[in-house]
Amino acid sequence: MKTPLALAISAAALTLTAAAMADEPRSGGTVNTIIQPEPPGLVLGMVQNAPTRTVAGNIYEGLLRYTTELEPVPQLAESWEVSEDGHTYTFHLRENVTWHDGEPFTADDVVFSADVFHRELNPSARAVLQHVESIEATDDHTVVFTLTEPFGPFLISFEAGTFTMVPKHLYEDTDFRNNEHNDHPIGTGPFKFANWERGTVIELVRNDDYYEEGMPYLDGVNWHIIPDGGSRAVAFENGTIDVLPSGTVENFDIPRLSAMDNVCMTEEGHEYFSPFAMLWMNNREGPTADKRFRQAVMYAMDREFARDVLWNGLGDVPLSAFGSNARFQHDGLEPYDHNPDRARELLEEMGYDGEAITILPLPYGETWTRWAEAVQQNLREVGINVSTQATDVGGWNQRLGDWDYDLAFTYLFQYGDPALGISRTYLSDNIAKGSPWNNVQGYENERVDELFNAAATAFPDEEREALYREVQEILHEDVPVGWLMELGFPTLYRCDVQDLVTSGVGVNDGFKDAWLDR
Amino acid sequence: MLYARLIVMRLCKAVIVLFLIVIFNFFLIQMAPGDPAAILAGEAGATDQEFLDQLRERFGLDQPLYVQLWRYVSGIAMLDFGYSYRLGAPVFDLIMARLPATLLLTGTAFVLSLVLGIVAGSMAAARVKKPSGSLIMALALLFYATPLFWVALMSVVVFSVYLGWLPAYGLYTVGAGHTGFALVLDVARHLILPATTLALFFMAIYTRMTRTSMLDAAQQDYVKTARAKGLKPGIIQRRHILRNALLPIITLAGLQAGQMVGGAILTETVFAWPGIGRLMFEALQQRDYNLLLGIFFFSAALVIVFNIITDLVYRLADPRIKGGS
Amino acid sequence: MSFFARFAQNRGALAGLIILLVIIAMAILAPLLFPESPWRMVQRPFLPPFSQDGFPLGTDTMGRNVAAGLMHGAWVSLLIGLVSTSVALLIGVPLGAIAGYYGGLIDDILMRFTEFFQTIPNFALAIVLVAIMQPSVTSIVLAIALVSWPPVARLVRAEFMSLRNREYVEAARLVGQTNRTIILRQILPNTLSPIIVLASLMVATAILLESSLSFLGLGDPNVMSWGYMIGAARTVIRQAWWLSFFPGVAILLTVLALNLVGEGLDDALNPKLSRER
Repeated sequence: MKTPLALAISAAALTLTAAAMADEPRSGGTVNTIIQPEPPGLVLGMVQNAPTRTVAGNIYEGLLRYTTELEPVPQLAESWEVSEDGHTYTFHLRENVTWHDGEPFTADDVVFSADVFHRELNPSARAVLQHVESIEATDDHTVVFTLTEPFGPFLISFEAGTFTMVPKHLYEDTDFRNNEHNDHPIGTGPFKFANWERGTVIELVRNDDYYEEGMPYLDGVNWHIIPDGGSRAVAFENGTIDVLPSGTVENFDIPRLSAMDNVCMTEEGHEYFSPFAMLWMNNREGPTADKRFRQAVMYAMDREFARDVLWNGLGDVPLSAFGSNARFQHDGLEPYDHNPDRARELLEEMGYDGEAITILPLPYGETWTRWAEAVQQNLREVGINVSTQATDVGGWNQRLGDWDYDLAFTYLFQYGDPALGISRTYLSDNIAKGSPWNNVQGYENERVDELFNAAATAFPDEEREALYREVQEILHEDVPVGWLMELGFPTLYRCDVQDLVTSGVGVNDGFKDAWLDR
Repeated sequence: MLYARLIVMRLCKAVIVLFLIVIFNFFLIQMAPGDPAAILAGEAGATDQEFLDQLRERFGLDQPLYVQLWRYVSGIAMLDFGYSYRLGAPVFDLIMARLPATLLLTGTAFVLSLVLGIVAGSMAAARVKKPSGSLIMALALLFYATPLFWVALMSVVVFSVYLGWLPAYGLYTVGAGHTGFALVLDVARHLILPATTLALFFMAIYTRMTRTSMLDAAQQDYVKTARAKGLKPGIIQRRHILRNALLPIITLAGLQAGQMVGGAILTETVFAWPGIGRLMFEALQQRDYNLLLGIFFFSAALVIVFNIITDLVYRLADPRIKGGS
Repeated sequence: MSFFARFAQNRGALAGLIILLVIIAMAILAPLLFPESPWRMVQRPFLPPFSQDGFPLGTDTMGRNVAAGLMHGAWVSLLIGLVSTSVALLIGVPLGAIAGYYGGLIDDILMRFTEFFQTIPNFALAIVLVAIMQPSVTSIVLAIALVSWPPVARLVRAEFMSLRNREYVEAARLVGQTNRTIILRQILPNTLSPIIVLASLMVATAILLESSLSFLGLGDPNVMSWGYMIGAARTVIRQAWWLSFFPGVAILLTVLALNLVGEGLDDALNPKLSRER
C-alpha cells in the first residue's frame, strides 16, 4: 500500500510528464462552434434548456464545477465543508471575482441567487432547495446552507446550469423575466456576451478581468446557428466550424466526420447529464398495463442493433434502471437480451390478442425517427400490432402530458445521482398530468416509493446503496418503462483545439480551459 | 384621382381581408395540440405546476379564448404584434430582423426567374417548330417537375462539397468581419445557390407562360397587319408580340410572387438562410403562437401588396381595363 | 381525327403516358414483387446499388431495401396525388359552378372566399394544416386539397360564365329544367375537358407537395413515401447519394409524365388552340 507521500510524488511525476508532452497553453484565436437549436434566451436559471446551458455555461458560473468522474472541484467557491451530520454546508468564496460589469461578486449574490431568484424561477433548483432550511451569508465571502435533513446529492447540484450565480445588483426587486439585462447577460464567467444576431450567430468574447490569471486563452467563441443537420456537417467539413458539440450533427455523419484528417472525437463531457433513453409504456391501460407485455417489449427490442447502426456503437445498453454514471448501479441483474422467442412466449402467456397499439417517436431529429422505425419493426416481428403516430414537439408534449399514448420515446438526464435524475420517473407522487417529464407511465408501487424516499436522505452512502439495490431489483422485474440506451454524446473538434472537454458537462463550460495550437 | 380612389378602395378591402386572416389563423392555431407553456417548460427539462402556471399567466394563456382573441386583435390594430413566448422578444422586431433576408432571397429569385423565364419563353415562341424551341420547353418542364428541395440538396453536394465553389449555407461568412463592398460580395456569393434553386421552379413557370402568351399575341389582328406591312419577323417579335405579351405575364408573376414566400421555407431550411420562412417553421413547432400569427400576417400582407401593385401596373399600362371588372 | 390519334400525335404526351403506366404498374406490382414490408431491415445498411442480388438499388441507413421502398412509394404518391386532387375538385367544382352560374352577390361572396384562401401562401398553409391535424395520410390529403382548390373554382367559374347564356342553356331553361339539372346535365359536361387537363396537372403538384411535406418530416410515418425517403436520406447524402437520388428521380419522372399527359390532353381536347403549339 502506498503512503500519502508516495501518492503525491507519483501524482507530481504524472503532472510533469503531461506538461512536458503537451505544449504550454497559448493565448489567442477564436473558436467557431455550433448551437442547435437556437436557444430562447441566455439567462441561466430563467431558461434551462440544453442550448441555453451550453452557451450560457461559459458566461455564468456556479459555486462548483465537476470533473468527468463527477467529483466537485472549486469554481466560485474556493473550498467547502460539510458538517458531520450532513446538515450544514459551508462555502468559502473566491475574493477577487467581479461581474462582467465590474461590480464585485459576494456572498450576498449567492444568497440572492439561491434563495430568491432560483426559488422563484427555476424548477430544478427548487427540487433541491426544498431540502434547504436556510441560506445565510456569514461574511462577504462565506455562505452557509442549512438543510432540513441530510440530502445525499446536495454537493452535486451546484453546477452552473442548475444553480447559476446571478448578479443581485441587477436583478433584485425587478420583474426578473422582463429585466432589461436579460438581453445582455452579465455573469462572472470566462467569456462575456458580445452579440446575438438571431438566426445566425451568438458571439462571446474573452473576459479580460477573469479571476484566474491568464485565462481564458481564447479571444472569443462564436456559436453559429444552422438549422439543417446536413449544412452543419458541411460547415464542419469545410473548416468554418472547429467544434461540434454533441447532438449537433446527425449520428450518421459522425463516422465520416471523425475519420477526417485533424479531427478528434471525445465521448467525455456528458457524465453529469448521462442522457438515458427510455420507452414510456402506459401502465394504466391497454396491453402495456400488463407487466408481461412490457417484459416482452424489452425482449423484442434489438438494442445492440440500435446502438451499432443508429448510434455508431457509441453508448451502452443499460444493465438496470440506473445508468452507469448515476452511482449505485446494480450490476447483478439478469439482462433483457434480444430474445424474440421469449417475447412471443410472454405475449402468449398473457393472451395478447393483437390489440393495436401506437408508438410515439421523439421529434428530435432523424436518429430518433429511425430508432422508432426500428423498434416498431422489432415489435411487429414478435406479433405486436403497432403503428407510429407522427408528431412534432408540441404534439409530443401534449400526448405525454395527457397520458394519451401507448409507447413513447424519450430521454432523461440523470444529474449524477438517483435522487436527482432517476427517482422522479418512478415515484408515485410524481404522477401529474401536464408534464412529459414526470412519472408519465403511471407506475405506482408503495415499496418503491419508500425505498427511493429513504435513500434520498439516508446517510452515509453505504445505507443509500443498500436501499437503491432493492429498488433496482423491483424495477427490473416490473419494467415500468423500457430502458433503451445510455446515450453516448460525442463531441467532435479539430485536434488543434486543446483541453476542450475538461469537465463533466463538456463544452457547457469547456471553453474556459480551451486553447488553440495553431 | 381615379387611381387614388382605387388605391384607397383596394387598401380598405385589404384591411378587411387581413383582419379576417388574423381571426382565421387565430382559431386555426388554437386547434393545434400542445400549449406553448408546456413546450417551454418541457424544454427546460423540469416541470412543476408552479412553473407552468407562471408561464401561462405570463403569456395570458390562462385567459378565456375570446379575451385572448380580443387582446390580440386590438393589439394588431395598434400595430402591436405581441411578444414571442419562446424567444422573449417583440414579434415585430423578430420579423423585421428576418424579413430583409427573405426579401433579398425571394426578390433576387423573382427577378432572376422573371428575366430568364421571359427570355427563354420568347426564344421558345420564336422557335415553335424547331428542335431548339422544343429543347427549351423540355428543360422548363424538367425544372418544373423537379422537387425544389432535391435540387437544393444536389446543388449543395455538387457546388459546395465536391467543387467547393460556393458556400453551402448562411447569409454571410460569420467571423470574416467583412464590411462595405466585401460584405456585399460575400452575401452575393452566399445568395447564388439558394436564389438559383428557388428561381428554377418559377423560371419554368414563366417560360411556359411567356411562350403561351406570345403565341396568343401572335394571333392578334395588329400582328397580322404588321406582317402584311412586311416588317421583319424579328421586329414583329420584339415590338409587337413581346410587348403585348409581357403584361399578362407580369401580372401573373405578381400573383405568383406571394407564393415564393412559401417556397422559400424549403430553400431557407436547406441553405440555413435566416429568413421568415424558417422562423415560421420553428414558431409552428414550438407553438409560438404570437410569432406564427405575426408571420402569417406579414406574408399575407406581402401577397396583398404584390396583388395591388400588379393590379395598378396593369391598369396603368392597359387602359382597356376599367375598374370593377 | 379521333381523340387518341390526336393525343398520340404529341410524342411527348405519348412518352409521358408510357412513363405513367410504368409507374402505375410499379405501384400495383409492389406487393407482388416485394411482399415484405418496405420497413423491414433485411440487409446490412448502406449497401450500394447493383452490388448484391435482390437489392438492385442498395439498402438505406437501416438496411431496408431501397427498391422495395421505391415501389411501395409509387403507390403512396399516386394515391395521395389522386385522392387529394379529387377532394380539391369536390370543393372547387361546386363552388366555381355556383358562383359562375348564379353570378351577382353569390358570385361575389364565393370569389372573396376563394381570394381569401389564395392570400395565404399555399405551402405555409399546408404545413400548418398538417402540423395541426398531426401528420397522417388523411391530414396530408386534406391539407393538399384545401390549398389547391381555388384555381379549380376560378376555372370552373370562368367556364360557367361563358356558357351560361348559350342557346342550349337558354333552351333548357325554357323547357323548365331546374337550375340543378342545368348545372349538372347541360353546362358541367361541357366544362369537363379543361377540368381534366387541370386535374392532371394538379395530381403532379400534389405529388410535389406531399414530397415536400414528407421532406420536412411532416409525412405519415406508417407509409414509405418518396419524399420521406429523400428526407431520411438527406442526412447521409454524402456517404450514400443513391438514397436521395433514386426517389428524387422517381418524383421527377412522375411529375414530368403527368405534365406531359396533361399537355397532350389539352392539345387533344382543344384542337383549335393546339395547332399553333
